[in-house]
Amino acid sequence: MSRPLSRLIAAALLLATPALPLPAHHSFAMFDPSKPMTFEGTVKTLQWTAPHAILWIQAGQVGKYAPGLWSLELPTSPGNLSKMGWSRTSLKPGDKVIVDINPIRDGRRAAQFKKVTIVATGKVLTVGAIPGAQPPK
Amino acid sequence: MKISPILAPLLASCALGWTLSVAAAEPEEPVNKAPAVQDWTAIASLPDLSGVWSPGPLDRFPPGSKTAPPWRPEQAAQIAALQKLEDDGSPQNIYVNCLPEGLPSSVTQTLNSVEFLVTPGRVTVLGEFDGNRLRRIWTDGRAHPADPDPTFSGHSIGRWERGVLVVDTAGFLPQVFIPMGQGVGLPNNGDMHVEERIYLTGPDTLKVDLTVHAPKVLAAPWHASRSFTRHRERKYDLVESSCRQGDYFDDVDGRGNAVFTPIPKDAGGAPIPPDQAQAPTP
Repeated sequence: MSRPLSRLIAAALLLATPALPLPAHHSFAMFDPSKPMTFEGTVKTLQWTAPHAILWIQAGQVGKYAPGLWSLELPTSPGNLSKMGWSRTSLKPGDKVIVDINPIRDGRRAAQFKKVTIVATGKVLTVGAIPGAQPPK
Repeated sequence: MKISPILAPLLASCALGWTLSVAAAEPEEPVNKAPAVQDWTAIASLPDLSGVWSPGPLDRFPPGSKTAPPWRPEQAAQIAALQKLEDDGSPQNIYVNCLPEGLPSSVTQTLNSVEFLVTPGRVTVLGEFDGNRLRRIWTDGRAHPADPDPTFSGHSIGRWERGVLVVDTAGFLPQVFIPMGQGVGLPNNGDMHVEERIYLTGPDTLKVDLTVHAPKVLAAPWHASRSFTRHRERKYDLVESSCRQGDYFDDVDGRGNAVFTPIPKDAGGAPIPPDQAQAPTP
């Protein structure tokens, strides 16, 4: 493949990347998107606060991580989350869940939230791009 | 010149009166006059900025790109170091302490909706970010104070020009960032001055064009824009959004009172489980 063509494909891939959820009040650069993880845990609380909601999950041994409480930081606040189908009762203490995360780089049980699946119902909750950026239909 | 005996006392009393009126002409305390019916009526003919405005896709301003602020050459090393911090995912210098973003970031970087309240003599900008952002843009013809107290959003005066709200803002804190993205930026370091043009581009679309003058760090004015989309659905109504609330757990103290307990944070502001508050040694 010639280099200009590979560059073109790289650029096309970049353009095709879906709009990623974006952090609201601090950079999420401390989280490592190159080491995504999926594990099962139990909801302690869904902290419904600005600037970021936080999903607190109790989990057993996950790979090299000792059992304990995880902080999974959502990239935005209740104002935006409520427009993405979330509410402060979307997840209840004791719910068994499967979470997809990007872990913090320093090895602690802290992470960027990506997706949660409620085991009992199969319901999936994610966080999309800024709501309302497009005109109403 | 000979002054007639009749005119002399008249002139003297005029002179005295003039002196007295000068003595009495202390600068009047400026007041915000009560709006009259016609002041409210005049607003009906201005562009309708009502509703909730959701920001468009986020802009980033990486060094060397067409959209990047034109940094002064002597800033190059700092800018490269900041960009490396961003690229490496190291702790950042912007948005880590819940202080207001100030201009221009409150326009270019916000991810939350804003409202524009147009009332006689002012436009009030409210936002969900920053623990409920508040900007007052005075449209009553006043000038900037000669020496305004520096603030995050500065002192804003505006006027309507053929459907465009033209805003001039001065009096910024020198610490207010000029952003390179969501993670890093450079303080304006003083004397920043921002011009904005706020205008409708369609029935439910609005644009803010900014020109940022920051002579301490920029070699030339920086031009940036952000688009917004109007929503009237009630689910878009702005809600309280206190930036510091996310720094605390809901908790109950030993006496049964509902209290806030601080959450440990990493250097970049991410919440950390309390039993791992100390960062591991690398």
